Amino acid sequence: MTNSQIDKIIAKYEGKSGVLIQLLLELQRELNWISPEAVKRINEKLGIPISEIYRVASFYTALSLEPRGKYLIRVCAGTACYIRGGLRVLDAAEKTIGIKAGETSSDLKFTLETVNCLGCCALGPVVEINGKYYGTVTPKRLEEIICRKRSEK
Amino acid sequence: MRQNAEVVEDKTEKSEYVTLTIDGIEVKARKGTPLLEVARQIGVEIPTLCYYSFVSPYGSCRLCSVEITTKSGRNRIVTSCNYPAEDGLKVETKSEKVIMVRKGILELLLARCPKVVRVKNLAREYGITEPTLWVSDQDEDCILCGLCVRACKELIGVSAINFAMRGVKREITAPYHKFSDDCIGCGVCALVCPTGSRKIRQHTYATIAPLKGPKDENIGVNIDIFSAHSPDSLDGFVKAVIAAGLKSGLLDSVVLAKRKNSFAAEAVIIENSEDFLNCSLANSVRIKIVSTLMDAIAKGKRKIAFIGLPCQVRAARKIEQTLQKEIPDLEITSIGLFCLNSFNPKKLVEKINSLFKVDEKQIENISVKDGKFIIQAKSKEHSVALEKLDAAIENGCVYCNDFPAFFADLAIGTAGSEPGSVTVIVRTDKGKMLLEKANFTRDIAQKDDVVRLSDFKKNRAKEHTAPILKEIYAQRSRKGE
Repeated sequence: MTNSQIDKIIAKYEGKSGVLIQLLLELQRELNWISPEAVKRINEKLGIPISEIYRVASFYTALSLEPRGKYLIRVCAGTACYIRGGLRVLDAAEKTIGIKAGETSSDLKFTLETVNCLGCCALGPVVEINGKYYGTVTPKRLEEIICRKRSEK
Repeated sequence: MRQNAEVVEDKTEKSEYVTLTIDGIEVKARKGTPLLEVARQIGVEIPTLCYYSFVSPYGSCRLCSVEITTKSGRNRIVTSCNYPAEDGLKVETKSEKVIMVRKGILELLLARCPKVVRVKNLAREYGITEPTLWVSDQDEDCILCGLCVRACKELIGVSAINFAMRGVKREITAPYHKFSDDCIGCGVCALVCPTGSRKIRQHTYATIAPLKGPKDENIGVNIDIFSAHSPDSLDGFVKAVIAAGLKSGLLDSVVLAKRKNSFAAEAVIIENSEDFLNCSLANSVRIKIVSTLMDAIAKGKRKIAFIGLPCQVRAARKIEQTLQKEIPDLEITSIGLFCLNSFNPKKLVEKINSLFKVDEKQIENISVKDGKFIIQAKSKEHSVALEKLDAAIENGCVYCNDFPAFFADLAIGTAGSEPGSVTVIVRTDKGKMLLEKANFTRDIAQKDDVVRLSDFKKNRAKEHTAPILKEIYAQRSRKGE
């Protein structure tokens, strides 16, 4: 994403107060991360100190200060999913993609995260991929899903 | 302790007064005054770690907890630093419940910072000598009270440091754990810190090792001071010196704030002496320049000239001192420009608009001469006394006592010289070597002029910092600490 695109998004919020979170969320949506360049532009255009933007961006898990992959895979490691084998599912994901939880693959295709509850414990172990929920996931099934996503263009 | 004391905060404003009792003493206070202030003014002591009256209350250390009973009979524990005085309130500062709560807080604080003297002393006062809870880090010294964050934001107006992350990972840091672009090295964060934390010093310029050499109180460390003839004033002299340094190989690059128009500037890295001669220096606005200096170092530049205001020179000096451990051949030659204060571009444009009815785009040139601020617009000249522009000064400048760039290798300015000349203070051998490459005619500088301005800035800083220091020292000398 170019600077002019970033500027276009920031321009929508100029002259308003209390918009930082909304702005960061929109940037995250469009850019898939909050780049240092974007932080600098917000500082210049809206006059919000960089430390303030960094504070907010580092606080919320919805905002990422590192580039995120095209697919955000969140494996639930909450109590219910944990006892139903959530960690085995996580292991499978780590092995298949070749990264650890919290990391992003070098081709920017996958980001793997753990999450503490997705709110549907009865379906555990649960995996969320880009907003879509997968219930009673087995290591094998997740492996298949990942391979399918990988071969997609 | 006075009975039935009256606490009057501000008589000029029409305000509402309320009556409340603190530890059985009836007090009249202005509505909304923090309970802590009211209590202190009648001599009731409440321990605090994260409160000073010169920054906004935050209620994070929770030591100032007191028990209140409202008019309607509701009883609870609140932090007195940010609870406003209200009518009919009954406040207990030493009740059994309060002592129990405070003890709990101190146990938590001691478990977080087991080695911090002030926390240890306070805990001992409440009968806790050893951490009773699990200590995750023996060397932790930050209680995350945010005093430094508030002082940096509210007093200095730069917000160089802030909280980051959350939960157990929460910390105070400069953005990205990198050298701050905004820090001006004033050290207020270290001054207000209740625990003397090391963390705030990591990516800021709060503490800098002093230069070595013969020292003069108002001029600073110097090995030479003279006036150099320079037809094109400040710009011309700096350019001549740096260009000669670049040509001779003594420097491989220069980092400076390049003027874009009258009020705006951008930080640039220049490697070639011709490119350098073509740009003009911005010397009245403070812009982010440290990240550009870091870029130059990352690019492999090792003999860098850095031109900046005294506060930026402090940053460059600290970076040099810190990085030389990893990059021994790094040399930053700092050229400091005399500075009384820098203007906030936005505020200045507004002020000029209202004073002269001139649009920002019509301004052709700005200059400062004989205590007057002169602008040229639409081929007309307007001038105004500098004091009239006080409102446009950057917040932190009034606390700064550094006029002649105490930490520079070469400090340069027009004060102390006739028109067509500039005053040069040589502080280090590095600075002297750079000067040897350039051609210019020397004259004797009017040292008194520099001393006078340096003195003025020092006194202004003293005036502004005195009430703050008074409160800090009073806090430190409080009973039992």
